Amino acid sequence: MSDLLRVDDVHKSYGDEEVLKGISFEMDRGDVDVLVGPSGSGKSTMLRCINRLTEIDSGEIYLDGENVTTPDTDVNALRRNVGMVFQDFNLFAHLTARKNVTLGLRKVKGLDKAEAREIADAQLERVGLLAQAESYPAELSGGQKQRVGIARALAMDPKLLLFDEPTSALDPELVGEVVEVMADLASEGMTMLVVSHEMGFVRSAATDMFVLDDGKIVERGAPTDLFENPEHERTKSFLQGLNSAHGGDG
Amino acid sequence: MIPSVVLQANDWAFVFANADYLLGGTVVTVGLTITSILLGFLAGFPAGAIEVYGDGYLQSAVRTAGVVLRGTPILVIMMLLFFVVSISSSAFVVATVGLGLRSAAYQSQIFRGALQSVDEGQIEAARSVGMSHRQAIGYVVVPQALRRSVPGFQNEFTIVLKDTSIAIAIGLSELLTRGQDLFLQGGHSTATLEVILFISGIYFVLTFVTNRGLDRLDDIYAIPSGENQ
Ligand SMILES: Nc1ncnc2c1ncn2[C@@H]1O[C@H](COP(=O)(O)OP(=O)(O)OP(=O)(O)O)[C@@H](O)[C@H]1O
Ligand SMILES: [Mg+2]
Repeated sequence: MSDLLRVDDVHKSYGDEEVLKGISFEMDRGDVDVLVGPSGSGKSTMLRCINRLTEIDSGEIYLDGENVTTPDTDVNALRRNVGMVFQDFNLFAHLTARKNVTLGLRKVKGLDKAEAREIADAQLERVGLLAQAESYPAELSGGQKQRVGIARALAMDPKLLLFDEPTSALDPELVGEVVEVMADLASEGMTMLVVSHEMGFVRSAATDMFVLDDGKIVERGAPTDLFENPEHERTKSFLQGLNSAHGGDG
Repeated sequence: MIPSVVLQANDWAFVFANADYLLGGTVVTVGLTITSILLGFLAGFPAGAIEVYGDGYLQSAVRTAGVVLRGTPILVIMMLLFFVVSISSSAFVVATVGLGLRSAAYQSQIFRGALQSVDEGQIEAARSVGMSHRQAIGYVVVPQALRRSVPGFQNEFTIVLKDTSIAIAIGLSELLTRGQDLFLQGGHSTATLEVILFISGIYFVLTFVTNRGLDRLDDIYAIPSGENQ
């Protein structure tokens, strides 16, 4: 089994509302797949099921060949391997940028102060923020906060990174710096599953694009194929909406 | 109106002649404030955490204890502990327990509110790097909640400081009791107002100084503003 991630017939309901209606897909190592779909279609829910911030009702999810949805899966170990980047950053408000990155290294991986700091500084440098290592979240711009969020996730050395609309809380002029970091990661071979309507990123970095609608993946393919000849009417109208909203290239 | 005749120079001379005695009472007052606040913190902080994160009987027990303590006059609590339950023959110990438990009931509410004010996303972010729920609470939520508790804590501190005077009811020789000792002495009832003014001044200086101190603490430990406030 060579897939890094395999999602198999996942169902999830909130009360009477079934949000995920049998989702299946797989990702190879190094894939950068982008999940798009209208609001409420279940994109965030899907991501959160993968690192088990949300529990699925049925189906299976395999990471690196291992079923991670069994009752005796160690969720903390799973989450060390699956990083997550949030729409509204969720940086630890009381800690500096550097300490945001070192906290997990110290408390989860048990590294000593010097080792943690070395890794943190390397990751902050990777996202271009080493100079801001001593700044608190409130002293950073949105784009800088999100880059710290990415550094925090990267520092744990995950096999897979999940991004939930990482640029949609940002002022338009700050989107570029975050997209640039993400594109760099993609080209370095990081496996990424991204919820984003940032068409610039999709076109330049995405391996595949999944179109989610009403709890199902209605179409999957390389971005250029989907843009040029979408099979489904739903995909067509959705992508047209995005293109006009984002001026064609985000 | 205060009749000018009561503010007499010889009454003030009497007060100052006994300043040492009153300062001794001040030491007891300050000591009682510290032990009560400390007990209130040691019991109140876990109680607040149990109210937010606990469940079952423990949580309902803590909630009920809080409601009872907040609903009973402090004077009644203290007299119960001293004259009825007689938990100790030391008035200082009894006063500490009474004021401390009552303060715990209020401090628990300060911490409960502070813990609940920390955004859920902070816990999710902590869990997403692999921290356990306990670690997320301990390393991410609690440090932020403690900092947000300082203003409420400041308020509680002044209340406890002033309420130490209630220990007069169980005969503890604190500041107010000693003041009363002075003006109840034969021939010194004319000094009543002077004594009360003097000890009020001491209470005022104490609250003022501790408030300033806690303001400083707030400045030093405040989370740089703007995020999640
Ligand atoms: N914790 C929850 N409790 C109840 N319902 C929820 C919960 N989380 C999500 N939902 C519901 O599930 C559906 C899918 O939500 P989800 O957040 O996954 O959508 P989404 O595709 O990410 O939308 P958006 O583009 O707005 O972020 C929505 O109808 C939402 O109201
Ligand atoms: Mg979403």
